[in-house]
Amino acid sequence: MHIRKNKPWNLPESAATSEADFINRRRFLKAVGLGSSALLSQSLAHAATYGFPSEVNREFRPDGLEPTEYDLIKGYNNFYEFSYDKGEVQDLANRGWQTEPWEIEIKGHVKRPQKVDVNELIKKAGGIEQRVYRFRCVEAWSMVIPWDGFQLSTLMDMVEPTEKARYLKFSTFFDPNNAPGQNGGSIDWPYVEGLTIEEARNELSFLATGIYGKALPNQNGAPIRLVVPWKYGFKSIKSIVKIEFTSSRPMNTWQDLQPSEYGFYANVNPTVDHPRWSQATERIIGSGFFSKRKDTLMFNGYEEQVSHLYEGLNLKRNF
Amino acid sequence: MNPVAHFLRKRWFIHLLLCTPVFYVFVPALQNDTTYFADPAKYLLEYFGLTSTYLFVALSMITPLRKIFPKFAIAKSIAIHRRQIGVSVFLYALLHFLIYFAYMGSWSEFVKDWDKLFILSGIVGFVLLLSLAATSNNWSVRKLGGRNWKRIHRLAYLIMLLLIYHQATQEKTGYRETAKVFAPLILLQTVRIAIYGKHALKNRAKHDSTDITS
Repeated sequence: MHIRKNKPWNLPESAATSEADFINRRRFLKAVGLGSSALLSQSLAHAATYGFPSEVNREFRPDGLEPTEYDLIKGYNNFYEFSYDKGEVQDLANRGWQTEPWEIEIKGHVKRPQKVDVNELIKKAGGIEQRVYRFRCVEAWSMVIPWDGFQLSTLMDMVEPTEKARYLKFSTFFDPNNAPGQNGGSIDWPYVEGLTIEEARNELSFLATGIYGKALPNQNGAPIRLVVPWKYGFKSIKSIVKIEFTSSRPMNTWQDLQPSEYGFYANVNPTVDHPRWSQATERIIGSGFFSKRKDTLMFNGYEEQVSHLYEGLNLKRNF
Repeated sequence: MNPVAHFLRKRWFIHLLLCTPVFYVFVPALQNDTTYFADPAKYLLEYFGLTSTYLFVALSMITPLRKIFPKFAIAKSIAIHRRQIGVSVFLYALLHFLIYFAYMGSWSEFVKDWDKLFILSGIVGFVLLLSLAATSNNWSVRKLGGRNWKRIHRLAYLIMLLLIYHQATQEKTGYRETAKVFAPLILLQTVRIAIYGKHALKNRAKHDSTDITS
């Protein structure tokens, strides 16, 4: 007989009402006039609030995935547009950088190119849902994140790519006045990422507008970002302003910077080392000083869903 | 002698100064810094590595400073603490090394990356530092003789190169941080060579034959 024992973190469904409570508490604080305090106004400035609260999509919430603490997801970010220092990003991304209103342009080889407000886009996509994905950074650390958003393929159906469309090229914002990191450095701003059209069509490819049932914090890529959980984190481009359907493969920022270390595909692969460290294992964020590493899974544990995309491709060379 | 230079001769003060990084490390934990709690091992790894690097740079600046400005009283005062500073460079490197072990989590993980130049440069640098620290006592100086002792301690220049490489390769884009950390040292060494280049090389042979303990 199979007996399922719940782990301490495996909260029952009844405990998951905290999001609504959270929103109510915000409303209450706002109503009694505390909304103007710096901390709260910071968090209330987030864009893309359409569709909350979202429903959990059980299909994309595997048992045994323990989401990382919200504070750590919010406070441990690589976002070179603001700083190279993960500890500074949260502060610098909330000093007046506006993520609302936010327009996103979809163009290239599509039948219905458009420029659309992000909330409008979510509405057109039919709202949002929550999925829990693993997130593996190329720096050999990982989190588990409950993302809110919609499947990328929904957007593709909306704009109808033509036969010429082979790749998607994503670009992030360029605003050096509010994003101090964009005032130089060795990166050719704005940040660019790309997917093949087959990768983009995969059911896992997701456009996130929230985390933990709340609009994306600025430092996590507000108001809308890509999430491709079988690839290293840098593929999941933040704060998208443009999606272009192209016939040739776009040059993504990290490949452009260090072609010997970062490729176009950047699939999570424990058998292909980074030139400076092994990718076979990972540190789990929030697990403490003495915690053991976890074995990194092929395609970050999504082999079943995505391995068919790479049949016949030499993954050692096409890293 | 000016009062600052006089004060800097005090041993207890230098010891306290060399210990401050250990106390300062608790600050982010008390401030609830998420980069600390996200991965304490990684935070401490980088913290102690950088501490050791800064002290190494400071230590390596003493000799060129003394050569370029022979009458600079502060440099003279600090120079008497070279051994203490050197040992603290090693102790912080040791912490860095031990935390790297914790960061990797197990022996099998620990040895896995030694084939990568980034890690290897750190390991070799650490072993060389260990050999310098182990011979940083009067007994070793007497036992080895001044000439051999000096020869061994010239490994510091090799350590410097390894450290620059180790520091530069951990940066993801460009070498800005490394340039900042090592700029003063490289500048001083360049000036020293420019001024004393020929002279120093000639003198070296002479110095090698004299016992520094005498």
